[in-house]
Amino acid sequence: MIKEIVTYPTPPSVQYAIDVRVLDEEIETLLQDLKDTIKANSLEALAAFQIGSYYNIVVIAKEDGEFLELINPRVIGHKGRVTTVEKTAYFPNLSANVTRYETISLVYQDRDLKQRSLKADGAFSILLQRKVDYTFGSTFLNKLNKEERKQFQKKLEFGSDLAISELCPTTFKRDYIIKLINIIMIIMAILLLASLFVDEPLSKEFWHYQSYLALSAFSLNIIYFFYAQYEGKRFTSCTSCQIGNIIGTATISLIKLSVIMIFSYLIM
Amino acid sequence: MARLVVLGGGVSGHTAATFAAKWLGSAHEVIVVTPNSKWNWVPSNIWVGVGEMSKEDVTFDLAPVYKKAGINYKQAKAVSINPEGSESSSKPFVTVEFTSKGNEGKTENIEYDYLINATGPKLNFGATPGLGVGSELGEFTVSVCTPDHAVHANDEFQKSIQKMKNGERQRFLVGTGHGLCTCQGAAFEYIFNIEHEINKAGVRDMADLTWISNEAFLGDFGVGGLHMKSMGFAVSSKIFAESLYTERNIDWIIGAHVNKVEKGKAHYELLDGTMGEEEFDFSMLIPPFAGVGLKAFAKDGTDITSTVFAPNGFMKVDANYSAGAYENWKASDWPSTYQNPTYGNMFACGIAFAPPHTISKPMSSPNGTPINPTPPRTGMPSGIIGKAVAHSICDKILKGENSPLHEASMANMGAACVASAGKGVFTGTAAAMTIYPVIPDFEKYPGTGRDTDYTFGEIGLAGHWIKHILHYLFIWKAKLKTGWTMIPE
Repeated sequence: MIKEIVTYPTPPSVQYAIDVRVLDEEIETLLQDLKDTIKANSLEALAAFQIGSYYNIVVIAKEDGEFLELINPRVIGHKGRVTTVEKTAYFPNLSANVTRYETISLVYQDRDLKQRSLKADGAFSILLQRKVDYTFGSTFLNKLNKEERKQFQKKLEFGSDLAISELCPTTFKRDYIIKLINIIMIIMAILLLASLFVDEPLSKEFWHYQSYLALSAFSLNIIYFFYAQYEGKRFTSCTSCQIGNIIGTATISLIKLSVIMIFSYLIM
Repeated sequence: MARLVVLGGGVSGHTAATFAAKWLGSAHEVIVVTPNSKWNWVPSNIWVGVGEMSKEDVTFDLAPVYKKAGINYKQAKAVSINPEGSESSSKPFVTVEFTSKGNEGKTENIEYDYLINATGPKLNFGATPGLGVGSELGEFTVSVCTPDHAVHANDEFQKSIQKMKNGERQRFLVGTGHGLCTCQGAAFEYIFNIEHEINKAGVRDMADLTWISNEAFLGDFGVGGLHMKSMGFAVSSKIFAESLYTERNIDWIIGAHVNKVEKGKAHYELLDGTMGEEEFDFSMLIPPFAGVGLKAFAKDGTDITSTVFAPNGFMKVDANYSAGAYENWKASDWPSTYQNPTYGNMFACGIAFAPPHTISKPMSSPNGTPINPTPPRTGMPSGIIGKAVAHSICDKILKGENSPLHEASMANMGAACVASAGKGVFTGTAAAMTIYPVIPDFEKYPGTGRDTDYTFGEIGLAGHWIKHILHYLFIWKAKLKTGWTMIPE
């Protein structure tokens, strides 16, 4: 029976790699379903998970039209490393640069549950590694390096390889402006506190400084507001660059400034 | 007055003896027979092996502790059991050979009413040519199985560090030294602690680290693997372990039976039947375990060792030893009372009881060599089993011979394991894992055989702190200091 192929965001597994202990009717049917689904979708291979079963089974479509059934497969040997662009039915329309072993040794059981082994290299090796990962509850997401993973997660968000023209940086230049505003406001708060303990003439002098500082903080907020929008346009994929965030940050900063100034006016 | 004799003073035997002494009071006698004068918190040996702890930090003298507990302590090793007594007396007895200074070689027959066999394993280095002879470690590799082994391992490790500082590249090979080893966890901890220490020493780029084990997949740990659950996702310990090994740049060889060790070289056979060899400058390979070689004799002196013990030397208990092939295995095959089926006053706990079969999937190479982890019975389960067995015997003594036995089946038991991956107050890491039940129950939990809500793991600094706190906590408990009974096994 042709089954629906499980795709992201269904988690790869909540129960992983259930080893086949007995080859009963359920497993026979599962093997046939995997073959039917591979044929119907012109796929190279499927892990049982990909049609909703958690048994440790992988079926590969061979070039001669036959199928290779791998029951309880385990990769026990490896050599060399190679990075290729991979695609999988679990992440439709998406691809990632995945580093895997160039050649592998695999032990598995056949339909008679007899232990067998095979060696694979090139594209076949990569295909097998990807499918075996599924049987252990993993996608190639876990094989990506930090940068590649970050980029792939972005692709997942947009559902396409094409939408990703750049990465969303973790720090922005505009953050430095906010940092400067915060430092100014801390100095203002210290001056406000200090004015409680000094004579009136000195307190008046503090008020002068406070006014200059407030003006600086206000100006920096204006600069922040426009610069942040400019920076946001450069990183269109970045959710934290949206205008709502920028307005919110500027407003919070201005409210803090106003509170300090109100108290300063009343006390100094 | 009844007499309970406990053979072995490791985690399981010590737990059983101390609880029995507390519950029985001075009205009955508890005797502990152990060849060692010191108690050892084995999980911390890996830190001795990298120089982060001393031998004294992980051991303490048993004599004063047993004196305080009112336990009669004999520093001796058990040689044989006569569960039917002798021709002159029907009282069962155990023959022991003293190991204490001045008494070496002297023997004594100790009569008992109840016997707990908690001898632990024989470190069977001799099973792999070149790894050692009998239970003696060989000259080519090191071990962290005992505190003395760990001290020796650290001496060799420090030499390797010095060589790397002098510009000489070093190859480290750590793992299991035979196709039927258990204790992958200890080797796992050791290789990651080595990696951590050479990083600290600033010579990581001068070292090539390789893991070799009999697991069919990385992260099997002798329990058929487990899944690590976080944020609603479950990922196999295979994926977790592979990520960790890759992140720490440790290569791995799995499905391997080390069949020969030479100076600087280990030969191995893989599950696919291929042969290989791996060169090393420093190697720690865990030996396989066997029973300590206790003999058993009937009243007339006939050898009944095969009645009392399984072929691997571990004591037979209430397990199903005829479960047959993998597809027939059930959780109920595993023992729950640990009572010997032939002699009801004998029990075995910890590593000393014979498991019915492995937990991991049994596998062998096309050449017929079995290569799969054997089941772990150490740590938390061995303490729990020791306590349950002590409880059963105390009930029999205090409430009557027909008192029901206490049960502690590993198929109904969860276990927590904290595996260190580097020691340091702020830089340490450890993988904390819980697993329930230890033995997969495919009938109760179709699929993996485990309850996915109680089987999970995490790695991080907090895990290291827990591991370090547990070190002090369990030594406190073993020393029977205030509140020791409140500390769980």
